[in-house]
Amino acid sequence: MKRYLSGIDWVINTLDYLGRRRSGVGNISQIVLELLGRPEEKDLRKRLDNCLKAIPALSGYPKRAVNLCPYWKVSGRSYPLALNVYNLDNDSGFTEALSIFRDQLDKPFRNKREHLVFNLIYCRDKTYFGMVFDHRLIDARGAEAFLSMLAQEPQELSPLNSLEEPSNLNRWLDKFRSGRKINRVFLHLTAGKPRVLTLRQNSSNSRLSVFAFSAQESRVIADNSYKSAGYLMLMPYLLAKSIVCLHSIFEQRKILPADYLIPVSVDSRASDLVKQEPFFNHLSFFLFRIKTEEAHDFAVVLDKIRKQMYEQVKIGLPEAIKEASFLIRIAPLPLVDFFMRVMTKGETASFAFSFLGESVFAPDTFLGAKVCNLLHLPRIPLPPGLGIFFNQYQGRLNATLSSVKGLLSESEVKQVDEYLKGLA
Amino acid sequence: MEKKKIEEIEEEISQRLASIMSCARSRIECDKPLHTLGVDSLSFVELLVFIEKEFDLKLMETTIDKEDFKTIHSLALCISKIKK
Repeated sequence: MKRYLSGIDWVINTLDYLGRRRSGVGNISQIVLELLGRPEEKDLRKRLDNCLKAIPALSGYPKRAVNLCPYWKVSGRSYPLALNVYNLDNDSGFTEALSIFRDQLDKPFRNKREHLVFNLIYCRDKTYFGMVFDHRLIDARGAEAFLSMLAQEPQELSPLNSLEEPSNLNRWLDKFRSGRKINRVFLHLTAGKPRVLTLRQNSSNSRLSVFAFSAQESRVIADNSYKSAGYLMLMPYLLAKSIVCLHSIFEQRKILPADYLIPVSVDSRASDLVKQEPFFNHLSFFLFRIKTEEAHDFAVVLDKIRKQMYEQVKIGLPEAIKEASFLIRIAPLPLVDFFMRVMTKGETASFAFSFLGESVFAPDTFLGAKVCNLLHLPRIPLPPGLGIFFNQYQGRLNATLSSVKGLLSESEVKQVDEYLKGLA
Repeated sequence: MEKKKIEEIEEEISQRLASIMSCARSRIECDKPLHTLGVDSLSFVELLVFIEKEFDLKLMETTIDKEDFKTIHSLALCISKIKK
């Protein structure tokens, strides 16, 4: 059985290739549930085993068909479950759990069939359940939907539409037109190298900071966003805040002035659809460019982001990226990687950013334990080696600062941490 | 643009929003705040671009207020007033 890969899937496969070439680890992330209670390990193991057997795509891998279209080979053979269990009996709590999750992010999968690794950390009356996932198989919102499925009884596993995807070897003229459109925009937006931070020490390991805002703090942030950015403009608001924050770091380091270039992944699918199609990638991208000399002024940055977002939607850029990316599927990954490096002059972005919005994960409990929070911990290899990510769980906002160890000094990390905390 | 009733405007906006969010039209309720329907920044901007094109408006140049954007009904009401 095969599931054809979309153009965006192939872009994600390229990023995975790039990550593995540079750091030995592909394009992966981790989603974490914070639970009140201690779910039984054997119950979890059984649930995971059943789920892996029920969904053979979880142990598939990419191949190329005779029509040159890449596809995900779905075989009936499932791979043994990887579940690591830890018991923390000290007071360090989440800090130590986070360091375990971080270490797991720096480990490659054992083989080409493995795409998920689970981590269960018991920490007194709390439990942290983490799932490291391969972005080639599942995107961030898909991972939330997949955890929702795991929280259900096995017989409730719904049939998955996402394994049915046509080869899309048609409507070539539309794809070429979209390609021409994004080429024009990209040439304009990627003119000149973006401003990037340089690594202080040779490392490819990850560094993570996480801030979980309370319900009250999240309301304050939402109110501030409404006042300064307008209704439903939380993403541009948080991006503008992130730019202003990181700009101060770039300035202190006296990094050569150049424009900031920030790609932002977007997925406007309703949560029902994400639950129906949790696998593979359904994203597209915005690309924002902010001048160095304007980046200190929050109001100006916010205005630029809103205008660029509006213009990019007006010309249909996110849709054009989805459509045109089908054209690159014919090229092998090293070639796509090469062209991406040429187009971006070796520097893909100043930093990565995403705002996932309200979580697709719906259950209140997971194996009998109350779900307190849901976090995303993405791994950001070089380039750019730095990213700020926001997600929302039951109205509460979480922020994750992810970077390559050594890209930011401890005092710089502290500065960003303080800034993010100060959002509320 | 020919003069449209508020209900017609609501229907057009609802259909477009359902298409943007890849969901059934029946899921879009006109009197519910957009954020409770799962509308995010991207789908909201997509909707604004549609309104500008479809109703031949420059939203930023009108007296439209932040509150007017909250539901499809309030948006339709506002568009109808501007087009009078």
